[in-house]
Amino acid sequence: MHHHLSRQNFDPSHWVSSLDPRIKLLSAFALLGLVISSQGIGFPLLVTVVSLVLCLNLGVTLKTLALRFSEPAFIAVTVLVLKLFCAGSVALFTWRVAGIELVGHRDGLWEGLQIVGRIAGGVTVLAVVGFSTPFTELMAALSWLRVPQALIDVALFAWRYLFLLLEDAQVVYHAQRNRLGYVGYRRGLSSFGTLAGVLVIKAFDNSQSVTTAMVQRGYDGQMPMLLHKPFVAREVFCSLIFVSSLALIRFI
Amino acid sequence: MGRTACLTIIALCSATPAFAMHISEGILPFNWAVFWSVLVLPFVALGVRQLNALSRDDLSLKPLVGLLAAVVFIISCMPIPVPTAGTCSHPCGTGVAAILVGPLASVLISAVALLIQALFLAHGGLSTLGANVFSMGVVGSFLGWFAFKALRRMGAGLGVAGFVAGVLADWGTYATTSLILAAGIRGNAPFLPLFTKVVIAFIPTQLPLGILEGVITAGMVQLLYKKRPDLLVRMKVITEQEVPDHG
Repeated sequence: MHHHLSRQNFDPSHWVSSLDPRIKLLSAFALLGLVISSQGIGFPLLVTVVSLVLCLNLGVTLKTLALRFSEPAFIAVTVLVLKLFCAGSVALFTWRVAGIELVGHRDGLWEGLQIVGRIAGGVTVLAVVGFSTPFTELMAALSWLRVPQALIDVALFAWRYLFLLLEDAQVVYHAQRNRLGYVGYRRGLSSFGTLAGVLVIKAFDNSQSVTTAMVQRGYDGQMPMLLHKPFVAREVFCSLIFVSSLALIRFI
Repeated sequence: MGRTACLTIIALCSATPAFAMHISEGILPFNWAVFWSVLVLPFVALGVRQLNALSRDDLSLKPLVGLLAAVVFIISCMPIPVPTAGTCSHPCGTGVAAILVGPLASVLISAVALLIQALFLAHGGLSTLGANVFSMGVVGSFLGWFAFKALRRMGAGLGVAGFVAGVLADWGTYATTSLILAAGIRGNAPFLPLFTKVVIAFIPTQLPLGILEGVITAGMVQLLYKKRPDLLVRMKVITEQEVPDHG
């Protein structure tokens, strides 16, 4: 998980990384809208290919991509199987498994493939944003998009202390394992409950010390946000061309 | 040694659960994605309003909610073996968040945890954020919170109330996820048969996992009661009279 969350997965000097995060986010929203509103699988697959090329060009390794996409891939396969056998009316093939007749449907398969295409397109678009933009910049872009400041503040606190709590969790977990805390199901559950409880206690205690430290540095209840540079006309123009051409393909 | 521990946990957290809780990016068609996003907006707005009002008096509240969001994030990334399915799944963590900070703040906590997971782990997504916040944040938090409060009023102990809150928060989340999924992917097929199939698909993992989440929630609340009852008093989960030292 740490591996996924780390900033070191991509090249910060890459042109996608140096794009204004507001432009990246708006382009991603537009592409997501186009992908999830598309009726076929051609357009989502095109977006998937473009996004994957961008991810690889960003320096993301195939292993990282495989790890990142393993969960959505599993869901996509599950949905495809569900639609193939449970939806549709035109029979494509029949399997007999342990006396049960399974009928795969042509129209069910098509519907399933459409959903798989949407999942692939959506997940890869988000991956480009995630792999090329630091969290704080994304939050600043969301703040510019008028997402409530309280939500942004909570997200920034969560992000800042996520790694600290993760390390605490690892230390406690390792100590529990060394003392056979996960031998047996009952004991494992008890250990897990204790681990989660310890994390909550640490969260409470850290919140107090963090507040004290921040108040000493002038915290008044509002987190300072990154200041945006003015939009670069070239970036806006190129992004508009990129999204518009994909939109044109989508509607043609 | 720290690095080895780190790698062990990361390896565990990277294990893909058989039935992930979050609805994946792109799975919902445009109209359903918009519907769930709009539906969840009032809850988020109320949560923001409550947090802003409370944090005027207590500056530590936003950091606390942020840190609890980090805890929920970590808890919901931890795999738990589910023997009936021979696989791993993960708890929600919103039940305990709702018990500690109330259901509206818990909606914010789940929104933040889900946003980070969507952006950096590909668990859930932006177009499905509304749907996921509704199932995990709104239904999970409110069910857990109501169950906890109702049972406490009826005189139940912290352990029992925490257990039921954890179970209902988890099962409520998965029932809602099944409903959202079935409605979103059904196409021209009738809703009810598909909904039943999705629920049945979830049962082998989620039925036992809900009970496990209940056990863990009860364990967490009891641990807090034993070790740090002052925190429960501060969050108005128990009164000062219920603190062990007061007999």
